[in-house]
Amino acid sequence: MNTHRVWQLALFELTRLFATKRGLLAIAAFAMVWLMILHYPIGHAVPFLSSPQFSEVAHELAGNIGLKKLVSWPQAELAIYWLIALYSFPLFALFVCSDQTVGDRQRGTLRFLSLRCTRDEILCGRFLGQLIILISLITLTALATLSVMSYRNPDLTFSGLSLTLVLILQLSIVVMPFIALMALLNLICHSSRLSIVLAILLFTLGNALLSFITGYLPFLELLFYVFPGVQLLDIASQDSVSLTLWLIPFLQTGALLITGIAVFRSRAL
Amino acid sequence: MSTIVEVNRLSKSFGSKQALSNVSFTIESGSTTALVGPNGAGKTTLFSVLCGYLRPNSGSVKILDKPLGHPSLFGKLTALPQDAMLDPRFSIQKQLCFYGVLQGLNKIEALKDTTRVLELVGLSDNHNSQINELSHGMRKRVCIAQALLGKPQIVLLDEATAGLDPLNAREIRSLISSLSDEVSFILSSHDLAELERLCSHVLYLDKGVLSAHNRNEQIGSSKYITLQLHEQYKDAKELLKQLSGVLHISQSQNKEFIIEYQSCFEQFDIHLLKYCYKHNWQYRQVVNGHTLENQLFQKD
Repeated sequence: MNTHRVWQLALFELTRLFATKRGLLAIAAFAMVWLMILHYPIGHAVPFLSSPQFSEVAHELAGNIGLKKLVSWPQAELAIYWLIALYSFPLFALFVCSDQTVGDRQRGTLRFLSLRCTRDEILCGRFLGQLIILISLITLTALATLSVMSYRNPDLTFSGLSLTLVLILQLSIVVMPFIALMALLNLICHSSRLSIVLAILLFTLGNALLSFITGYLPFLELLFYVFPGVQLLDIASQDSVSLTLWLIPFLQTGALLITGIAVFRSRAL
Repeated sequence: MSTIVEVNRLSKSFGSKQALSNVSFTIESGSTTALVGPNGAGKTTLFSVLCGYLRPNSGSVKILDKPLGHPSLFGKLTALPQDAMLDPRFSIQKQLCFYGVLQGLNKIEALKDTTRVLELVGLSDNHNSQINELSHGMRKRVCIAQALLGKPQIVLLDEATAGLDPLNAREIRSLISSLSDEVSFILSSHDLAELERLCSHVLYLDKGVLSAHNRNEQIGSSKYITLQLHEQYKDAKELLKQLSGVLHISQSQNKEFIIEYQSCFEQFDIHLLKYCYKHNWQYRQVVNGHTLENQLFQKD
């Protein structure tokens, strides 16, 4: 695999978002949604968590659902940001990354590309490009949350900055298998919409079906590790999260990309 | 001359339909090869296999002595695939530059080369256009331009002039002709007159079975001339038979005669034209050898 070509393919993906009208519109919509999130859920929840009147209730409530450590963070904005981002970015990734190769394949553009780089390079380059896009968006939202927090309490800026960097890293790891899943579904489906539908079915119907089956065949519980995001509930608390939980997304990404490469190599363009 | 394409016992089927059956051929460097055949004969399938878009069921393909898909072929083998289009979200220049960079050019070289190839296909004013702003013919020319980026050694053009107006089709033909010394073209087309002008070698596919024809081949001790007369002159066939050096005359069409003559007969063409003048026959065309149409479809 030629890293120069993989990098060029990834860079071209960035221009798809940052240098096309459609991409810029998507960024504008994304920014508006996050402005609302920063203003309402984050902006309104923080005074509630910080007030002595309610903090005890909040701590007790959070303790019941395993989020005690999170509520104890002085950087309350980042705690709420973490919870919202942890579930919204994977979902967002399914939509943003729904057209990695399928559109180009249907249009025939991949035929031009495949005479200049290998299919493995196309798949990995597109994956890398989408990952960079999501990391950029995660970074922007995390920095915006940090600014809101620094405005409320400037003393927290320094400690908040290091926490923000940790959260950016953790969220980037979390979204990886979701991007890889869409890369694989793109190779199976005939449109980006169908890829999204399949992904939603996988997470809803697939999950329900597996839950039902494991009721009778408990050893099949291992199959839950096929689903990206299987560890989300366990890492949400940020309380003594084991290294194994952070390895799961890497393993899932690797497995999904290897499967994707095998599928891509064998399919007609 | 060296072999640039070597295809051995290639077969490809789609379900029960055999698209290619034991196809074998070689193409030498410097030749312009025509791939002809009726609709559904397997031409596009063969193109797709040669470009690596489709995997054959059996057989082998070597291009420039490398197996299909080998990274060293990137930029050396290019193609105009049928029904392929650039991304409508980006300008033509941006995409062609990107392809150039993937082929190993730096950004400045890629931009220069993009300007060069767009000029070659007559689209120098459309650098910043998006593909969906262009007409069908212009889109096709952009796709031809991308196939000429860098220094390709083999260019496969699937129906390159289909859908182009006569003037642009002519320009593409003259472009192919002017580049054919440096680049080996493989062309698929239904326009036999076009292929006749451009190609030295013909691959004829029918129902997935291939037969190869060398356009300038001499068989035994005889040679051929195809004479097309302006009108259907009385007793023309009989009179042509009486011309010295003639071995056999057959009539391929109403006013068209295939004349087989002794290969040792020098300047037979001049001799024939003088004979036409003597009988006051106006001729429309004289072809050295068989016309491609006759070569492919004449049964006797």
